[in-house]
Amino acid sequence: MSTTVTEAGAPPARLPLSDVLARHRTALIGGLALVALLLGALLLGGGAWPARFSVDLSGPLGDASDWIIDNRDSHPLFLYFFGHVSNAVVLSVRAVYLVLLAAGWAGVTAGAGLVAWRLAGLRPALTAVAAFGVCGLLGMWVPTMQTLALMVVAVAASVLLGLVLGLAAGLSDRVHRALRPVLDTMQVLPAFAYLLPVVLVFGIGVPAAVLATVVYAAPPMARLTALGLRGADAGVLEAAASLGATGRQRLLTARLPLARKELLLGVNQSIMMALSMAVIASVIGAGGLGDRVYQALASVDVGAALAAGVPVVLLAVVLDRVTAAAGARIGAAPARGTGLGWAAAAAGTVAAALVGRSAGRLSWPDAWTVDVAAFVNRAVDWMTAHLYSGVPVIGGTADWAARFTTWVLDPVRDGLRWLPWWTVLLLVAVLALLVGTWRTAATAVLAMVAIGVLGVWDPALDTLSQVLAAVAVTLVAGVATGVAAGRSSRLERLLRPVLDVFQTMPQFVYLIPVVALFGVGRAPAVAAAVVYALPAVVRITTQGMRAVDPVVMESSRSLGATARQQLWRVQLPLARPALLLAVNQGVVLVLAVVIIGGLVGGGALGYEVVFGLAQGDLATGLVAGAAIVCLGLMLDRVTQPAGKEHHDA
Amino acid sequence: MNTEPPAPSEPPVSEPPVFSVRELWKVFGPKAGRVPSDPALAALGPAELRERTGCTAAVREVSFDVRRGEVFVVMGLSGSGKSTLVRCLTRLIEPTSGAIAIDGEDVLSMDAARLRRLRRHRAAMVFQHFGLLPHRSVLDNVAYGLEIQGVPRAERRARAAEFVAKVGLEGMEHRRPAQLSGGQQQRVGLARALAVDPEVLLFDEPFSALDPLIRRDMQEEVVRLHGEEGRTMVFITHDLGEALKLGDRIALMRDGRIVQLGTPEEIVGAPADDYVRDFVRDVPREQVMTVRSAMRPATAAETDHGPALAPGATVHEAIEAVVRSGGTARVVEHGRCLGVVGHADLLGVVAGLAPREEAA
Repeated sequence: MSTTVTEAGAPPARLPLSDVLARHRTALIGGLALVALLLGALLLGGGAWPARFSVDLSGPLGDASDWIIDNRDSHPLFLYFFGHVSNAVVLSVRAVYLVLLAAGWAGVTAGAGLVAWRLAGLRPALTAVAAFGVCGLLGMWVPTMQTLALMVVAVAASVLLGLVLGLAAGLSDRVHRALRPVLDTMQVLPAFAYLLPVVLVFGIGVPAAVLATVVYAAPPMARLTALGLRGADAGVLEAAASLGATGRQRLLTARLPLARKELLLGVNQSIMMALSMAVIASVIGAGGLGDRVYQALASVDVGAALAAGVPVVLLAVVLDRVTAAAGARIGAAPARGTGLGWAAAAAGTVAAALVGRSAGRLSWPDAWTVDVAAFVNRAVDWMTAHLYSGVPVIGGTADWAARFTTWVLDPVRDGLRWLPWWTVLLLVAVLALLVGTWRTAATAVLAMVAIGVLGVWDPALDTLSQVLAAVAVTLVAGVATGVAAGRSSRLERLLRPVLDVFQTMPQFVYLIPVVALFGVGRAPAVAAAVVYALPAVVRITTQGMRAVDPVVMESSRSLGATARQQLWRVQLPLARPALLLAVNQGVVLVLAVVIIGGLVGGGALGYEVVFGLAQGDLATGLVAGAAIVCLGLMLDRVTQPAGKEHHDA
Repeated sequence: MNTEPPAPSEPPVSEPPVFSVRELWKVFGPKAGRVPSDPALAALGPAELRERTGCTAAVREVSFDVRRGEVFVVMGLSGSGKSTLVRCLTRLIEPTSGAIAIDGEDVLSMDAARLRRLRRHRAAMVFQHFGLLPHRSVLDNVAYGLEIQGVPRAERRARAAEFVAKVGLEGMEHRRPAQLSGGQQQRVGLARALAVDPEVLLFDEPFSALDPLIRRDMQEEVVRLHGEEGRTMVFITHDLGEALKLGDRIALMRDGRIVQLGTPEEIVGAPADDYVRDFVRDVPREQVMTVRSAMRPATAAETDHGPALAPGATVHEAIEAVVRSGGTARVVEHGRCLGVVGHADLLGVVAGLAPREEAA
């Protein structure tokens, strides 16, 4: 361990001093930590974050939020800027919604199928038609259209915004340097952290929901656009220059077309992020499917939550498949007969809409719906009665949850709280130093200090304890599965479709099954986080194992290494960057869901955000949101290996 | 070797050179401009220069002329600065100091618009890694240069189709570059450069990424094109065989400097220093050297006997003639006998013995 850390951390130094420092890095860090520990014990004593170091922001924040509420209708800033933004958002969402309603269910379904057919082929088209059919069958047609309308506006805005930012960052080094850390950080923040600031400005409602979605979904588009523009084959650009192309000609004929794969991937990611956020934003008035899930979860009505959750998943799968297939298609072959095909698709959509209209069936017929909620709830009741507890030998699911809470979550949380506050900081610093650089360590410690200063030390440690427990479970299960899948192609083939589906699902829907299985509380929140983060960890580990140079594997085999020796001596060490990335991604994803777990009794910071929103106590919510940002920053930096390039998960 | 155009050993003085390069420097690194102007720094070797200034001099004080219609080869190992040099010619890389003229017109003082015109109409480049647009068909790739010039779509496609045929890619107009072999891709690159009808073609190691057999085909293609059109070419390569095969004149570079500039025969027959000598040691000399450098003055009896050879004939060809006739062969130019070659003279060349003084 120590040697590899040194290699990774040491720059090719010329000065002997830095050389020495780099070589004995681990020992140095250990020594410093020990000294700090002794000093701390002598000078600072124990206990939680001392009250004298914290600042109570609820007063000023409350004043600010009151001021905004008072001036929302009169202050020029709101009248002439935010007001217009808000109106534009409301108008466009309404317009899209009206178009969708006017097309009727027949028109929308036919349109979705035909667009999918043109973009991606027959199979995605059939999937799309079936998905919309199921949405109708479940009695969720209207909420689905509401969510879709919000999505269309939010995706259009975030793709546009991301494109502009990405172009700037792709063409200008200075913009790139300024923008990259911001985008990197935004990528690791939980969705919940974005809600409060927009609510503060726009109040609860559709504009806030759309804008939170845009802010959440634009970064991947910006990142990938910049990545694509920067990654353009230098040889092609030089060839263009050698033929006398102007800067504009080079951008339009070479740079942008060369980046089209990244651009399409950016659109795909933006759509997926937007869907995820559009559902979560139900907490701040997005309406639609997310709202149904949210209301149902609030009353622990698993059946209703599932009926609204299934359309969300279907929407996610369809959007992902269609955009991904479209990307692969446009990347591969030239488009043929495009105009004609699109005309046919448009004509088909209009025809279907007209037929639906003339048949007087604009809204989904009530007779065609299936009430799954009641059925599911009966099943859940049966589960509650028979599987929750008292199952011989293995115990029930609620028993597991209770035991997990008593034996894992409570001790970790109490342990963290028992630790003197400064030792927590020290621990963060040492961890960050071991994995990353002085800079990441400084950021991590500062973020942790900020949490203390904000006065939310205790709930933050509660959240942290849930994150740690979930991450531990995720990593053990994920790395083991990933290593196995990395060594067995058959297992990988089996896992791939499962991972594909799981990775497309919005965070919110993971809460539904865990509530059904474990009820409410911290354990279900942790379970949802594990399930959400597991696919990414498995996938990254598998890729890391597979990316090991086959020549190295072959040479180790030729030296007579056993399979076990190969795994421990060759594959795992060489896959170290991938494993570190898996840890980093695991932590980030777990945190996102642990926070949302506040909706199902996870408590801690997530609950404070929800509470703040529900009670209109924005100050509490904002402080919790800021603490979430800090916690996210800290966790990301602590797990961020030195000299890594940020990969897109 | 028969296809090789006759190398004019005496340049026609009247015509100005296509490219005229004088004391050209390209230095990479911080404050690069001070290196050429400071004689103390300019005299440093590569390692010392890097140590002292953090700079790398890719091209050092290079001067040469490219004559109209010739194939001018710049040859050197990787890192010798040859690719940088060719990019300086059209300022794809901005030279640090020196002078470049194309047809007597100063290149370094051109503004952006004139430089673009130069690149669009007068010098087109063929790249080692082709630099094709992967999302466009072969035809549109070939038409790309014309598109940049603003030629209307129908016209540029018609012209491009001509050049697609010229490089032997008929029937592949609608394929994507990824669907072609390396050799075919480079034919597209070549057609793209030809399509703009440039005054001079610049080749940057165009065939280095190709398999040997395909490389030979492509070299012959270039020889053929040059024979048909007589277009001026600047050809960069690290392959000595390629340089000798294609070049009318060769500039041999090492560490940014030209260590020798001459015809293939001069380079092989009279290496300027040990580096060049080492370089050309394994060259099959009989393929490069001509009887002009192998002949000796004829005695009276020899002037009338034996087969006649042109002075540009290779030693390889002479050996065949000498073996067939059993005696000496005459070197005849414009009906005048310049000298004769016999067994001993030819073997002397093959053995690499110093050219005999009297053979001049």
